[in-house]
Amino acid sequence: ETTFEDPESYKQFLAKLYASLAVSGQEGPAGDPDLIGLDEGFSQYLRLYWSMQELTTDEAVIGWNDGTIQDLHGQNWTAGNEFIRTMYSRIMYQVALTNEFLRQSTPELLESRGLAAEERENIARYRAEARFLRALHYYHALDLFGNVPFVTEEDAVGAFLPQQIKRPELFDYVESELLAIESEIVSANSNEYGRADQAAVWMLLSKLYLNAEVYTGEDHYTEALDYSERVINANYSLADDYQKLFLADNDSNGAQSEVIFPITFDGQETQSYGGMAFIIHASIGGDMDPEAFGVSSGWAGLRTTSALVNKFPDGADSEDNRALFFTEGQTKEIEDISSFNDGFAITKFKNVTVNGEQGSDDTGEFPDTDFPMFRLADAYLMYAEAHLRGGGGSQAAALGYVNELRERADANQIGSSDLNLDFILSERARELYWEAHRRSDLIRFNQFTENGVWPWKGNVPQGTTTESYRNLMPIPASDLGVNTNLEQNPGY
Amino acid sequence: GVVSESATGLPIPGANVIVKGTTNGAVTDFDGNYTITNVSEDDILVFSFLGFATEEIPYAGQETLDVQLDEDQATLEEVVLIGYGSTSEQDATGSVEKISSESFNQGAVVSPEQLIAGKSAGVRITPGSGEPGGGSEIRIRGGSSLSGNNSPLIVVDGIPLDQRGVQGVRNQLNSINPNEIEDFIVLKDAAATSIYGSRASNGVILITTKKGKKDSPLSLTYDLKVSAGRIIDKVDVLNAEQFRTLIENTPGTDPSLLGDTSTDWQDQIYQTSVGAIHNFTATQGFENFSYRVNFNHTSQTGVLKTDVYERNALNIALNQDLFDNHLKLTLSSKGIVDENRFADQGAIGSAVAFDPTQPVYQEGSYFDGYYEFTTSPQQQQIQATRNPLALLEQLDGRGTTKRNITNLNAEYKFHFLPELKFNVNAGFDYSENDGYNRRPLTSAANNQDIAYFEDYGGFNRNTLLDFYFNYKNDIDFLNTELDLTAGHSYQEFYITSKRIETISNDIQDFPRETNRNALESYFARASFDIADKYLLSGSIRRDGSSRFGGDNKWSIFPAVSAGWKLQNENFLSSSNVINQLKLRAGFGVTGNQEIGPNYGYFGVYNPSVGGVRYQFGDQFYNTLRPEAFDSDLKWEELKTYNVGIDYGLFNNRISGTVEAYYRETEDLLATVPVPAGANLTDLLVTNVGSTVSKGLEFAINGAIIQQEDFNWDVNYNITFQDLEITNLTLGENPDFEIPQGGISGGVGNNIQLWKEGYDPTTFNVFRQVYNEDGQPIEGAYVDVNGDNEITEEDRVPYKKATPDYFMGLTNTVNYKNFDFSFTFRGNFGNYMYNNTQSGNGFVGAGTVTPQPYYSNFNSNVLESNFNNNQFFSDYYIQSADFVKLDNISVGYLFPGEDLDVRTSLTATNVWTITNYEGLDPEISNGIDNNFYPRSTTVVLGLNLSF
Repeated sequence: ETTFEDPESYKQFLAKLYASLAVSGQEGPAGDPDLIGLDEGFSQYLRLYWSMQELTTDEAVIGWNDGTIQDLHGQNWTAGNEFIRTMYSRIMYQVALTNEFLRQSTPELLESRGLAAEERENIARYRAEARFLRALHYYHALDLFGNVPFVTEEDAVGAFLPQQIKRPELFDYVESELLAIESEIVSANSNEYGRADQAAVWMLLSKLYLNAEVYTGEDHYTEALDYSERVINANYSLADDYQKLFLADNDSNGAQSEVIFPITFDGQETQSYGGMAFIIHASIGGDMDPEAFGVSSGWAGLRTTSALVNKFPDGADSEDNRALFFTEGQTKEIEDISSFNDGFAITKFKNVTVNGEQGSDDTGEFPDTDFPMFRLADAYLMYAEAHLRGGGGSQAAALGYVNELRERADANQIGSSDLNLDFILSERARELYWEAHRRSDLIRFNQFTENGVWPWKGNVPQGTTTESYRNLMPIPASDLGVNTNLEQNPGY
Repeated sequence: GVVSESATGLPIPGANVIVKGTTNGAVTDFDGNYTITNVSEDDILVFSFLGFATEEIPYAGQETLDVQLDEDQATLEEVVLIGYGSTSEQDATGSVEKISSESFNQGAVVSPEQLIAGKSAGVRITPGSGEPGGGSEIRIRGGSSLSGNNSPLIVVDGIPLDQRGVQGVRNQLNSINPNEIEDFIVLKDAAATSIYGSRASNGVILITTKKGKKDSPLSLTYDLKVSAGRIIDKVDVLNAEQFRTLIENTPGTDPSLLGDTSTDWQDQIYQTSVGAIHNFTATQGFENFSYRVNFNHTSQTGVLKTDVYERNALNIALNQDLFDNHLKLTLSSKGIVDENRFADQGAIGSAVAFDPTQPVYQEGSYFDGYYEFTTSPQQQQIQATRNPLALLEQLDGRGTTKRNITNLNAEYKFHFLPELKFNVNAGFDYSENDGYNRRPLTSAANNQDIAYFEDYGGFNRNTLLDFYFNYKNDIDFLNTELDLTAGHSYQEFYITSKRIETISNDIQDFPRETNRNALESYFARASFDIADKYLLSGSIRRDGSSRFGGDNKWSIFPAVSAGWKLQNENFLSSSNVINQLKLRAGFGVTGNQEIGPNYGYFGVYNPSVGGVRYQFGDQFYNTLRPEAFDSDLKWEELKTYNVGIDYGLFNNRISGTVEAYYRETEDLLATVPVPAGANLTDLLVTNVGSTVSKGLEFAINGAIIQQEDFNWDVNYNITFQDLEITNLTLGENPDFEIPQGGISGGVGNNIQLWKEGYDPTTFNVFRQVYNEDGQPIEGAYVDVNGDNEITEEDRVPYKKATPDYFMGLTNTVNYKNFDFSFTFRGNFGNYMYNNTQSGNGFVGAGTVTPQPYYSNFNSNVLESNFNNNQFFSDYYIQSADFVKLDNISVGYLFPGEDLDVRTSLTATNVWTITNYEGLDPEISNGIDNNFYPRSTTVVLGLNLSF
């Protein structure tokens, strides 16, 4: 209780809310974990979210034998899958953390603890950010699991059985929270780096509306377009070089102008075996030189399928400078998922600066590279898509945004006749691959399960379609076992 | 005259009467009458009868001399401690077993619990590993908790030790010198243990150390045990030639990565262990004062190179009687300096995985001359297997623990009421630990640009104050012996630790961790012995623990038990066969509060350390985390029902016990998934679920030959046990399961599960499909749920790690000055997951590597022909039944005038009969994975007493 008489505690608690997107516990890189049901590095938020969004799709495979990780790409997961379970636990943990923050920072409590008015104002802004983060976690829950246990700051910490909320109601809740804090949070592009502001709220609203049809059956493309436009008009600008967005100094090399909401990492201060350490290390193997990526070693896990390579004209040799493949010693097609040499590797994320220098951790273990969770390019593509889906706006603007991205990539400009939904889905893959958007995109385009085939989908080499119930992840069996209020998602 | 029993007044037929120093004697008749002649004044008459104290009476010319003999307390009424008091074996109503020094296991025993392995029904002692000074897992009746502690409470000379152990030692019991242990008393059922309340669910072991004896001459003893040990088996891996062949025949490999030597890496890391145990003891007793002083030096090297254990210990016991024996003071103090050099046990795994075609040393190697897999001369391949010998020899890891366990006990017999005693016991157990680990820059295991170091230290303090009143009296008009005890106890545990370590080229100074908890208790016990036939006993303890909050802080643990001494009933008292037969039954409630967290019932905030700060703007902020808690947290409660028969036949030539128990654990403390969103974690220690355990125990002791210079004793015990989870969740879902038992290979892989209806060590596996030749078909499993897909839903519970039954057999033979003994031990119905085979026994294990190197295979790869891992196949669940010849010993005593010399030769861990394919069938959790092998040891003993 005395902890919270010190105003600094609130900022440290807020830092926890953000940091648990990047790290796995209270001791870096590992030790004193937040969650104990799965290895610490594995249970890290970004690592799990990335795995859910990428390993299940045409953009990534992983060669390892850890538990049921192969079932993600094979789309034959069950309710017992520990990665799905831990993603779910992690999301609900984050919700519980933000709830606790909101309970501990009510204006009444602040006043009773004798905090100065100025501090109380600061903390009110932290509260808005905590609500943003809670909305973000619930958004991930909405997208991945649909019908999840629902708790707010009204529920005390304990061992009670939370009630299940249905997907459309959760949609309404996330929407109402975001709309409520829209005016309370720091205005766009004016918060400290790393913290959420109005633009982050708009970006999330735009994503929420763009996918609304999947979540609720009702479309909200007008709102999707409206909010993406607000982001676009909020004084962000594209980085001059695509690669810069994914480097060790992407918080200072100019690329930060494009980033609306990052998950920050630092080789010395913010260490974890999940997050960027996973994405970078795991994508290095075979003949790749870890030093060129600013790390000490490769973990030889992640590659991509030919489906992504084929999205670029001329494949890996494409002039499109977003085609960051490593092909030496690698085969394009995957015969054996466990062999790193099968499938092209990806060189998008690196722990080196624009000058090629390694990040701040001399041991090359933990990267500085920040993960761009929301960036302007995504807003451009959302605008274009919302327009094509009937959300209004202008075709010229949509085409202009797409071509702006293609111009940066040295890809040829497209004409208005080329701008259609299929193109948008492919362009999103080219622009945003490995940035944890793919699964949601494929579902929105109905290409994730019943339609759409890529290597090893459905656990067969050439790929096969799967049943549509897999558009939602199962509620983990472990939680169904303890919380009798829950009902499993259909199909599982 | 007439010779009769003092207690009952009944005549004693057949008693001997003899004139001291002569052959002149007589025997009493059926009515106890005797007649003796030729007795002169000042002769001494000696009256004796088996089971009674001999009486010597000077003859003063009487015509008749009636004598009453007292029952000999030493033979009939062997005293056993029962916690805050004592009783006799005859009068015990709970399940209490005493194991005295004469029946201890022989050998160079460093850890006290090894003295009683295989000696007691219901007690299973599993040696932890082969490390020098290593501890064992002790289970009395199998343990009944899931996440709580399952080890018994150990009470040393009245001080309950911290069940969590102390920092920095391999085995906290090593602070008790085995040479100085008088006896172990094992309290098994709740009737016996519940006087220890909240810590008693897993049984209690009372250890009493040796004390000086009153009125005894100075005795000096020197005891030496010299030992040498070696491993008798290695993990079966491919040799260099087989390895090369396999790599060359695997498509996609690059044989140029192989070396051209042939190295048996396991031979490189193991050595012959040597050890010596010295004990110097001096003891002497006067009329009111006695002392015993013992100095012990123990040193042992491990079979794993660089592993060393050393102990210097001084034990002092002082007894002083004051005021006509009304006040007895006992001081016992044990000072121990425990010094360790810790080997890097990772070398065991490296040795079975390291490429056997590579050499141990490489000329000019940057890594102190050791061969390592590198990417450039000074850069090791970070993901590669490390040179096992370098792991050992480049680590300098040492730790010292200084410990003192001191206990002062005062027993005061009230002058005005000698039946009432007041007993006060003040004790402390303080242990201080300091240690470090160092690795040079040139160690490939050190992935930093600075030399690696870690310094750690801390102390544990356990203080105790307890007192009780005891009232013991005969109430003649009720023909009842009454024994009442009531007291209070307070015990506090304080632990603090600190460490500094280099992490990622930085020196991380971790904040000091401290941890305190306390227990306050009130206890009482009443025992009645009615007509020396009917025994009744009841006890109650009220415990308060700082680990629980609100209404859950205090709890009451009652027990009742009853016994019926049938041998004292008329219909049996004249039996020539049965000389002892006691039926007993008891019921009691005990608790378990050893749950891990000290503050599990309220919310605390925890600041981040190390590389956990988050960037806001250009500043990094430490993070503050609210910890999960369960405000309703309470004790785990165990109800035990116990029935037993103690029997003695043919004048106790055959004796023993038969016992059965049934136990229910409720409010089980388990680390279980919390409903998502309800708390601040995913898994939480909370009270959920229940288990039921049942068991049947038989013990028989036979004195097969009992002659003056030839004795042969046999002791056999067998225990049947069954433990089952009966409920595991707040909800009703019977399919709910919690994965357990992490294995090596992949991350987060578990091979066991907790599930309703199963033993908690049950394996969870795919059912392997075999072809006609009995060869496992890779990846082919039984589709248990019939959905035409093999998913983890097809994994089923199958077999378990704990035995269905286990037994021990000890033989002791004495012939003149020779003695000979051996102990067999066996477990049956237990299975092992052979992780050494599953982890390295497939082609991919050695060839699919993150960097350019290969690693060795378990030879099983040639049998299974698996290409990819099949971690969850029941192919690897193997029967681990065994019978072990634990020790065999022969000794000879050269008696002398002033000096007795005894020499002995003992072999331990001599012979194992098992079908299990791995190194050792006895691994406590049932997962065989880089096990530190136990050595077979030969011990030469020399004992000199002056």
